[in-house]
Amino acid sequence: MTISSEQAETLIRDAIEALNEELPEGERVTAKPSTVLFGIGAEIDSLSLVSLVVDIETTLSEQYDLDIALADEEAIARAVLPFSTVQALQDYILERANESR
Amino acid sequence: MTQTSHSGKIVLVTGSRKGIGLALTNHFLDEGATVLGLSRQPSDINHVNYYHHLCDVRDAKEVRALFQQIAKKSALHILINNSAVLDSQHSFMLTATSAEAMVTTNLLGPFFVSREAAKVMKRTRWGRIINIGSMAAELEPIGDSIYAATKAGLVTMTNVLARELSPFGITCNTVGVTAFESDMLSQLPRAAVDTIIASLPIPRYAEPDDIFNVVDFFSSERSAYITAQTIYLGGVHG
Repeated sequence: MTISSEQAETLIRDAIEALNEELPEGERVTAKPSTVLFGIGAEIDSLSLVSLVVDIETTLSEQYDLDIALADEEAIARAVLPFSTVQALQDYILERANESR
Repeated sequence: MTQTSHSGKIVLVTGSRKGIGLALTNHFLDEGATVLGLSRQPSDINHVNYYHHLCDVRDAKEVRALFQQIAKKSALHILINNSAVLDSQHSFMLTATSAEAMVTTNLLGPFFVSREAAKVMKRTRWGRIINIGSMAAELEPIGDSIYAATKAGLVTMTNVLARELSPFGITCNTVGVTAFESDMLSQLPRAAVDTIIASLPIPRYAEPDDIFNVVDFFSSERSAYITAQTIYLGGVHG
């Protein structure tokens, strides 16, 4: 199974919405493509990022039968971490999903 | 049912084939839990609520793949990291292969299993990770340079995980076991073990129920505020 760009976008948006339910009102994030998730200007802390990535991995596995490790050596080794923004994360999900087909 | 009944709970025990892992598996089954057992070899356990999985906990990819399958079928409430190997030798005699096997099985294995288990537990915002430690971490006996170091490292790892996983309702604790009649114990010179045991405040070997008692405590609903703790049996202290 694979995943479309729209599905990846929805997947991230849903995960961010779920994360927002756990965050105080003033710390909630929007799921815009430019939203910074990691590094300078990040709108969420590292724990929230870990939680977000794990939720996305879980949904990929359960809904799309894609068993992908997003936070693996390949991701960490990249010069630009693929979790830096919502758009980068979406692109990375599509890349890894296509690899696993 | 008793107050400590595990009815309805899903428990994963690594190294479930023998020793403490087997005793804990039977205990949880007796208390009404469903047990997922992990080991590198097939198990003889025959129980309607027992499911055995062949898995080498030292292999991060293998562990991850197994948990992806588990996550599709069930929840996970309690994890017992019990898998361990012991080669007690003077440092001059301990082979690099044995030393590496202890580090990968006793320390990295619980890490790989814990983080995958925590991802499953995170969904229900409830989890208990209980690591089987050893008196060797505190008593530092001759011959156990690497084994004791891995068990001391296990305690530190447990305490760090306790911080990382508390936002998800997951507690992480360690049971520091003394001498327990098992295949592992039979590898050690009995006289040396007896000398160590004789020096403890309660100078006897551990019985299965001594271990069950602490595991039941850590895994109970009421222990939600108990994390990053190590309870040693028999009064072991540094």
